[in-house]
Amino acid sequence: MSITPLTEDQRDALQEVLNIAMGQAGDSLARILDAFVELSVPRIRIVEVKEVTNTIREMVGNTADVTAVRQAFFDDLRGEAIVVMDENGCRDLADLMGYDDNLDCQAEQELLLDVSNVLVGAILNGVTETLGTSLSYSAPSIMAERCPVDHIIDPRNLSWTHALLLEVNYSLKNRGFKSHLLLLMAEEAIESLRKAVDDFVESI
Amino acid sequence: MTMQLNSAPLLDFIVGKINVGVFVINRDMDIVLWNHFMETYSGLKADDAVGTNVFDQFPELPRRWLERKINSVFVLKNFAFTSWEQRPYLFKFPHNRPVTGGVDCMRQNCTFLPVRNEAGDVEHVCVTLLDVTDTSIYQSMMKDALRRLADASNRDGLTGIYNRRFLETSLDKEFSRVRRYGGTLSFILLDIDFFKKVNDNLGHLAGDEVLRRAAEIFSHTIRDSDTLGRYGGEEFAVILPQTELDGAVILAERLRQNIEEAEILYDKNPIPVTISLGVTQLSDDVAAYEQLINDADIALYQSKENGRNKVTAFKPSV
Amino acid sequence: MTTPITIVDDSAMSRKLMTRALPAGWDVEISQATNGKEALEAYHAGKADVMFLDLTMPVMDGYEVLETLKKEGLNTFVVVVSADIQPKAQERVMSLGAMAFIKKPVNTEEVTKILKEYGII
Repeated sequence: MSITPLTEDQRDALQEVLNIAMGQAGDSLARILDAFVELSVPRIRIVEVKEVTNTIREMVGNTADVTAVRQAFFDDLRGEAIVVMDENGCRDLADLMGYDDNLDCQAEQELLLDVSNVLVGAILNGVTETLGTSLSYSAPSIMAERCPVDHIIDPRNLSWTHALLLEVNYSLKNRGFKSHLLLLMAEEAIESLRKAVDDFVESI
Repeated sequence: MTMQLNSAPLLDFIVGKINVGVFVINRDMDIVLWNHFMETYSGLKADDAVGTNVFDQFPELPRRWLERKINSVFVLKNFAFTSWEQRPYLFKFPHNRPVTGGVDCMRQNCTFLPVRNEAGDVEHVCVTLLDVTDTSIYQSMMKDALRRLADASNRDGLTGIYNRRFLETSLDKEFSRVRRYGGTLSFILLDIDFFKKVNDNLGHLAGDEVLRRAAEIFSHTIRDSDTLGRYGGEEFAVILPQTELDGAVILAERLRQNIEEAEILYDKNPIPVTISLGVTQLSDDVAAYEQLINDADIALYQSKENGRNKVTAFKPSV
Repeated sequence: MTTPITIVDDSAMSRKLMTRALPAGWDVEISQATNGKEALEAYHAGKADVMFLDLTMPVMDGYEVLETLKKEGLNTFVVVVSADIQPKAQERVMSLGAMAFIKKPVNTEEVTKILKEYGII
């Protein structure tokens, strides 16, 4: 299945919507974590299924083993968010999120899920608020633990051929924490997003 | 006939009676809504719950963590979740499998929903609590089954001891461990003498019985830290972590004696059984675990050559 | 009297949103710039008595525009319009000489309030 690429206007609008969402996300996170959050400029691209692993490696970098959490969002927009964090970053957040120092395996998993949920919600709520869409979330779950970046997604198990990939990076100033947030929307979902963006541009 | 329904009372009814815990709290952590499910399992009536602080009512709740969680919903206007896999329960409730369950209390998945007012601000958080005790029981049954399956794939069907695949994997691991962290490792390869004759003269069932009994005797002889497996036909192997050659030879000798002295019966008739053994210790010039097997095999061959029912330690040729 | 203003943002949509958020009846001549370099050109052409300035832009970003204006002692009324609303970002642009800070998405109410506060309208 081939897809129509985003027009210049759609890309520009989506970029701006993401910028605004990022700003709000950064602000909420800074308030809840009481730390200055540094945000990257969001990147937008359409990827083919066969290159998704490469693309993710490129985005995340060839770091040591990573942990990835996935979470579905649905309603007006539909897709999955993947949060990729490296080992050191995770622990740094434990204290900030109100966890005790000695994390057992379960508490550590819970922390990962909590952090991912916060990161995903922060950015997507910003998007939906600007676009005036409505969104619900599934509970997050761990999709890969301490594994090489390449193992996060197995392209053979995917049913789509093209997906829109939005990438946002968070890091905390003066702390090791760094995370990559990927939002993936497959073919049909791209059209819903395109329509939401068009409607929004139309309204201004 | 159609009936006009006023949806508000209907929704009240559903929220009240649905078989899911539903409660709502405000910024002060006071309970605003408490449904029938929560009443039933907590024993706290809605009339007594509403308007009181949830932490006063349930001092056993993990306060610091829960306040953070709920606060994040207020600040971020975002959903939040807990899963039984990480946190088995929020409230300690009894479950509905008191007889067959095997878990102490209800497993729960919780969702925290921001409730927005008309201005878009979040003044309340609605918590839904799903009883996932059954799921958790099935999952632990499944995990158990998978574990048994994995174990079965490592074992030899006839004798119940480890199979060749597992032996080689373990030996490889031990080898790598010694190479990385130091220490030592010995390996015994052994073979039942004249096994073919048992099979030919007494039949395969007798042969099987010999293998089973021998495996039993071996496993009673080795130490807890050793790994015993059936390497092939009538060949067995023992991995001895952190054991010098002398110690390995002593154990090999014990294996030999125990088999020689054991009374192995088939059809009430004793079958005399002896074994030949080759023993080797990991030295610096062993490049891969396969070479250990090779060395032990050479020593085993010498035991056979020298009349069987013997232990031979491998000596590297100069 | 017509006030020359310049809206500086790399996003066309953002410039459109900004234009729409300007108070009704304010007599302005609007120029547009897509990066900091164009913004300074517009200033030198006398098109920017008031400048609505985005921070994150290619070629030359908003911070650099502020630094240049400050260094060269140039005089224009700069309102920074940004999605990054953490207090740290606001402090930084104010110290570089911006007069006000508006968060994205912009709304007319806020823009009007600021312009009134400084007696521009």
